[in-house]
Amino acid sequence: MLIWFLPLFLFLLLIGLPVFFGLLAAPGIMLWLNEQERDVALLYRNLYNGMDSFPLMAIPFFMLAGELMNRGGITLRLVEFSQALMGHLRGGLAHVNILSSMLFAGLSGSAVADTSALGSMLIPAMEKQGYTRRFAAAITAASSVIGPIIPPSGIMIIYAYVMGESVAALFLAGIVPGILIGLSLMVMVRIMADRYDFPVASARTSWRQRGQASLKAFFPLMTPVIIMGGILLGIFTPTEAAAVAVAYAVLIGMFVMRTLRLRDLPDVLSRSAATSAVVLLLVGAAMAFKTVVSLSHAPEILADIILGLSENPLVLLLLINLLLFVIGMFLDAGPAIIILGPVLGPVFTGLGVDSIHFAVIMCVNLTVGLATPPMGLVLFVASSVSGERVETIARAILPFLLMEVLVILLVTFIPGLSMTIPRLTGFAN
Amino acid sequence: EYTLRATANSNEEDEDYDGLVVFKDYVEKASNGAIEVELFIGTQLCSNGAECLQGLADGSIDIFISTSGGAAGIFPYVQVLDLPYVMSDDRIAEHVLSGDFTRTIRDMALEDSGGKIRLMTIGNTGGWRNFANTQHRVQTSADLEGLKIRTVVADLPQELVRALGAAPTPIPWPELFTSFQTGVVEGSKNGITDIMNMKFPDAGLKYMTLDRHAYMGALWFMSNDSFMAMPEDMRQVVVDGFYQLQQATFASPKRKSIQAYKDFVAAGGDLYVPTPEEKAGFAEAAEPVYEWFKQNVDGGEEAFNALTEAVTLAEQEVSAARAADIQ
Amino acid sequence: MGSFLLAVQAVLHWINNRLLAVGVVLASTALAVMVLAILLQVFFRYVLNNALPWPEEAARFLMLWMTGLAAPAAYRRGGFVAIDMLEYALPRRAAAALSLVQLIISFAVLAVAVQLGWNHIGSGWLFNSSSLKLPLDLIGFQAVRVKLAWMYMSVFAGFVLLSVVNIELMLRALLRLLGHEDDLAPIPGLPMAEAE
Ligand code: NA
Ligand code: NA
Repeated sequence: MLIWFLPLFLFLLLIGLPVFFGLLAAPGIMLWLNEQERDVALLYRNLYNGMDSFPLMAIPFFMLAGELMNRGGITLRLVEFSQALMGHLRGGLAHVNILSSMLFAGLSGSAVADTSALGSMLIPAMEKQGYTRRFAAAITAASSVIGPIIPPSGIMIIYAYVMGESVAALFLAGIVPGILIGLSLMVMVRIMADRYDFPVASARTSWRQRGQASLKAFFPLMTPVIIMGGILLGIFTPTEAAAVAVAYAVLIGMFVMRTLRLRDLPDVLSRSAATSAVVLLLVGAAMAFKTVVSLSHAPEILADIILGLSENPLVLLLLINLLLFVIGMFLDAGPAIIILGPVLGPVFTGLGVDSIHFAVIMCVNLTVGLATPPMGLVLFVASSVSGERVETIARAILPFLLMEVLVILLVTFIPGLSMTIPRLTGFAN
Repeated sequence: EYTLRATANSNEEDEDYDGLVVFKDYVEKASNGAIEVELFIGTQLCSNGAECLQGLADGSIDIFISTSGGAAGIFPYVQVLDLPYVMSDDRIAEHVLSGDFTRTIRDMALEDSGGKIRLMTIGNTGGWRNFANTQHRVQTSADLEGLKIRTVVADLPQELVRALGAAPTPIPWPELFTSFQTGVVEGSKNGITDIMNMKFPDAGLKYMTLDRHAYMGALWFMSNDSFMAMPEDMRQVVVDGFYQLQQATFASPKRKSIQAYKDFVAAGGDLYVPTPEEKAGFAEAAEPVYEWFKQNVDGGEEAFNALTEAVTLAEQEVSAARAADIQ
Repeated sequence: MGSFLLAVQAVLHWINNRLLAVGVVLASTALAVMVLAILLQVFFRYVLNNALPWPEEAARFLMLWMTGLAAPAAYRRGGFVAIDMLEYALPRRAAAALSLVQLIISFAVLAVAVQLGWNHIGSGWLFNSSSLKLPLDLIGFQAVRVKLAWMYMSVFAGFVLLSVVNIELMLRALLRLLGHEDDLAPIPGLPMAEAE
């Protein structure tokens, strides 16, 4: 009976109720119909307790650090650095676009920020060199999904928290899949470059020029080193690392790059506060929702249904990828993870899939969903940055999506890709 | 007729679970099915002491097991159980916890929670706390000098560690493993089963001193409203169920720790049992903590007196019983 | 009828503009202080080797207040995630009716939450924070432990503000349904960072 809160929730989502209210209304209504009023109080308490968490504090902090970095001229330096390394290749600016996104990912956990920051700079530059605008927008959108896969990552913090995993382990597990996506996109650019005769961006740069560009990009590029190094050496927790990243961003923004001014701070703070408040409420509601998931024995019921389809974990993983891919087309990655993690996670760990591995499968798949039509968030941003229509970008992005789907399959069926680094560093068994 | 929802924030390997299984079985049978007990093991309903006790207060949870640290936010005086070297061994502790001491604490807790939260019984979870560290064997309290010892965020354990000359360092439990690895902390005060469950020896925790400084009491609370809503015969079943549960949690850690100690030694661990003189030295060094507790903790003096009286009485009764038994 | 609703809406609009702006300023301040508290914690633990007990809980306290004070402004400008395909597909009037239905469901959730939040605060007076104290000992009295109720109020305050916003949004949807679309003052923008 209680289990009907799941279809009710789906219905409320489809009529456009904000996810936050849906997460509370659906279980609330079913508990009330089931005469379990005392559990409605439980719902409230777990909403509160869900937000009252130190690990979650990494979300506002990383968001703030990313915003601060964006204010500074950091994006420009990353692009110049990428250009010095890859500009001379055929399809140079396309490669630069991808590499910049991979570097940007080490500073920021947001694909949307990546699309708007790099897109506004690189799409016009690519057009000027003769790429079509739709291609430039498509490669920008496709490569920006690396942002939340390479650490730091907002959605991984959320997943780790909601599912009780280690943030550090998830961060480490995302590194190889993120790099793989970047490399696979470069392979596709290479294939297309030969076919369509893409231009090179610049003459091969001398080692001296490369050295200069590296020097200019040195301070921004130290950010991921500080974050991950500090976590790995046990100097600080991920939340503390995020606070240190904020301090670092302020320091280099104000004193090294001198592009950040004191009067920028109120705006940066209020942007980050507003966004993280929404995310935190959503996480709190998800924790309340999760309580009802276990009260209703939904994982057991779903496990029966899923195991009824097949008992082969490989087949089931394939099916789950399909499901996640479809859901990713319609829902943002964060809410999708919040909703599906507690329901699907236990089923697959029960089947013997490592919980960290499953987390990576979910995060990578749903993040790629940010760039899939019809509701991919970064497609819309790429459209507004480039002025190209969403439908056009959606068609141009297909070859790149194909590569990303291949990576999803690799990551799904070769656990070592995600598990090796966390295992070697002792953050996973 | 009655559904009691019981929760423990541990897992099914824990002695809390053993206690609950015994409780459920007894209560459901003795009530002839009138009482049903639902077990929620883990953090599905609530994930720490304050949250779960609130669940008892508002009636969404009926039964909850808390450590003294977990309940300290609302009932600070239950930390009296964490005072070092007050109870000498299991037999004394079990005698004390089966008697009026528990009733005194129950009355204090009922009053402080506005009649909402009822202490049902005190059992054990994890045996005794011992000092363990990554650096060297600790024989006397002087050997603890300067060691960074992990504690929870609470005043009393920090005072204790300071009294012994070590440096208290608050670290969340899940981060303790890496903190040992990286040297952020050098020691902790835990029971052997927790140490082995977390695989701390793999992180370098090698030296353990069996000073048995504190009994790891498990406080079993119940929503007073749920309890009083039952007729007296059902209440009696529940009370007897908690007696059964208490006995089970007294026994279970003893059985479980045998393998844990073996594993610790097999992993290259060094177990040291201090001599009676050395142990007296530890107790003497820790003495100032008693005064601190009475002065600084609300209800501390009352709880301390109740405990020390109960211990004196228990020591008399146990030694009388022993004297009779060995003749 | 329409002009009366318009007047009520205008008053609420005026109040919310100011109330939520103050909320966002306080929330931003809380965020800045959170960062400082955690940096202090890192500094004391790793540089001075002397861990402080209070920064973690203090920062959580501030984070909860940040959430309660900033989320209503975000809700007002449409910053809560929703699948709005259906609304886009519908003609204007039908879309206004649908959004009114959504807002009524949301309001029901908020009304229950406000009530439960009030009880939650009540139980919070029983509980002491584990590390936060008012340092009255500095001025010669005993330090007083902070009650958890002060933390609980953050989320309650958030739900109260969300309810006020929700009422304004309901009035606006109703007025749009009645054809007063053009008489509504726009909701001031709130810049938000990118979460995904
Ligand atoms: Na990232
Ligand atoms: Na890019």
